[in-house]
Amino acid sequence: MEAVAQKIRETAAKLLSEGKVDCVIGYAQGTVPMRDYPYFAYTPEEAQNLTWSPFCCNNLANFLIRRPKGEIGKVAIVAQGCVSRSIVGLIKENQIAREDVYILGVPSPGMVDRRKVQDRFPLKTITEVTVDGEDLVVKGKDFEERIPQKEVRRDNCYTCVQRNPVIVDEMMGEEGPSDWGGNIDAVAAPWEKLEPGERWEAFIDEVDSCIRCYACRDACPLCYCHVCFVDEAMPQWCGKTQDEADVATFHILRAFHCAGRCTDCGACESACPQGIKVRRFTSKIEKDIRELYDYSPGMDLEATPPLSVYRPNDPQEFIK
Amino acid sequence: MKSLLEYVGIEPGRLHFSWISSAEATKFQETVVEVTESVKALGPAKHMIKDIRKVA
Amino acid sequence: MADKILAKDKLGDFLGKLQADYEVYAPQEVEGKPQWAPVEESDKVLWDFSNTHTSPKDFFFPQTEIMMRFKNVQDHENGMVMEAEPPLANKRLLFNIRPCDAKAFQVLDLIFVQDEMTNDLFWKDKRDKTTLVGLACSDPCPSCFCTSMNCGPASTTGLDALVFDLGDKLLVRALTEKGEAVAEGLDDAAEADQAAAEEQTKAAEAQISSSVGMDKVNERSVMELYEAGMWDRVYENCLNCGTCTYVCPTCHCFDIQDETQGESGRRVRNWDNCMSWLFTMHGTGHNPRGAKKDRVRQRFMHKFKYIPVKRDGEIGCVGCGRCVLLCPVNIDVRRVVNDMNA
Repeated sequence: MEAVAQKIRETAAKLLSEGKVDCVIGYAQGTVPMRDYPYFAYTPEEAQNLTWSPFCCNNLANFLIRRPKGEIGKVAIVAQGCVSRSIVGLIKENQIAREDVYILGVPSPGMVDRRKVQDRFPLKTITEVTVDGEDLVVKGKDFEERIPQKEVRRDNCYTCVQRNPVIVDEMMGEEGPSDWGGNIDAVAAPWEKLEPGERWEAFIDEVDSCIRCYACRDACPLCYCHVCFVDEAMPQWCGKTQDEADVATFHILRAFHCAGRCTDCGACESACPQGIKVRRFTSKIEKDIRELYDYSPGMDLEATPPLSVYRPNDPQEFIK
Repeated sequence: MKSLLEYVGIEPGRLHFSWISSAEATKFQETVVEVTESVKALGPAKHMIKDIRKVA
Repeated sequence: MADKILAKDKLGDFLGKLQADYEVYAPQEVEGKPQWAPVEESDKVLWDFSNTHTSPKDFFFPQTEIMMRFKNVQDHENGMVMEAEPPLANKRLLFNIRPCDAKAFQVLDLIFVQDEMTNDLFWKDKRDKTTLVGLACSDPCPSCFCTSMNCGPASTTGLDALVFDLGDKLLVRALTEKGEAVAEGLDDAAEADQAAAEEQTKAAEAQISSSVGMDKVNERSVMELYEAGMWDRVYENCLNCGTCTYVCPTCHCFDIQDETQGESGRRVRNWDNCMSWLFTMHGTGHNPRGAKKDRVRQRFMHKFKYIPVKRDGEIGCVGCGRCVLLCPVNIDVRRVVNDMNA
């Protein structure tokens, strides 16, 4: 892990000093435990702040499109499997040009779900979490405990199908195994297992703590619409209140807009301040896309996204 | 969309898709009957209802 | 009123008696997190917690609040009947509120209730009918910085009474008439208990590890701060989501909308936030805060410059640290203010 971080710092410093890129987007160590954050290095000195850890839960591809155009030129970006797949998606959707991005590929160690760690110490304050090999060392005021990382990874990391980047300009470490052995189809769309009559309650129960901050949307590299449907005022598609119907509309439609595009990076769930399992929506949609079109987003720069084309043999059982 | 709505608990049979040409009057009539019967059978919608009237 | 003492095992009786007059709420464990909830069993009331996950501001400023209802009535002289929403029916008591959150409401009072013309009835009604009984912090978190924000672990501003947890007993200090009504009937505290409370406060203050400098922020002019180069970096990784503002006890922006259904409708106000471009979008198409940098700068300038300038040095932040913990990209307000102060 530290070797990868060192390689990222060295490479970033080199790219910046040689003028090959104007900015390197990576992660830096956060001010609170388990929250390393997106960091923009513009000079070789700033590149020394870059890090790599199991606490890098944001999807950096987000920052390739959320910057005012022309503000920066060519950028290098640290990308693990899911982030690289998002980059592929953005290239295919003509949001960025391949030649404008220099991809520093990293094999993903699987990211830690800070809530799972916190849940081990209910109501206690965690003051420091460090990585020691395969374990985390969690410290609080009156405790210190080791937890194996594999017990507290984010849900999406267990079922990741591509930990290694799919497109790369330079690798920052050896490629690792592509998955953890988890089967996404076995755990995707958890409410399918419920009776139809029980699903609505499960759905509302999941989203009833939503505060409509839209962090899930804003953390997502797919959500780059200039005006999001929830911000449309004429007509106002989605009400602004905490009424169940308004909150439900937001969650259903946000997920629906990601259909055939979501790489299951988990940035939405990591961003949610309320711990809502928003992947319960997107995992259902992507499972349908795999079943109907045998397609996983972002795996291949050449593949055609199924929802952007018409084929005579497209499934149409839903049409009468 | 249909699949997603059913996944979150909207009853199957509330959302219908049909492909009807402007020349297919009979199919249109039949579909409308089928849709209304299917929705009537389900009764009033229970979910995604925003009733802002004062609760008496 | 002298400091009072209450044995912790008598808490049930104490709260039970209060429940005859108030709806009593307190932080309790809800889905693994400390959250505000109505008190049903007194042993569920938390003592050992940092602070509630989200702030209690929605007791006074709900995320969605109905302001009035209206209905088209043809034979009415105005063609429409408008009906105010009824005020709060019962008195409420928030038990074990942290001093920082109570301080936040005192700051918000200065904004919601200024004079005859600026008198938010919705806010004031709930404030008037609510009693705040605080719980002094004995164990502040690393993310707390209240002592830099006109506040502290045993700050009394905004509170009606303050409770010190002394293990098997509680020292209850009434601060206002409302607070005296709560403490009435309890035995007087011994001097040793008072000394223990003071000692606990000193220890807690010493434990606050992070501090933020405001001296240069106060000295500098609005324009000097506004044009500072540091803003060019602060906003870089901001997602422009509303997390920081919605978990903040002092953020108070809202959006008012009329919703209609047939002939009737209602006026609602919902939380809104300065991170959203829509918040400042004009009907003309012009947006005075059109760029992300403008919006991020607004949040910090509002809290640490505009409010202090307009409200006699009060700060629009109480150092509770919620945004520090919950910002998805770790934009740490302490770092931002220190940059403003650099």
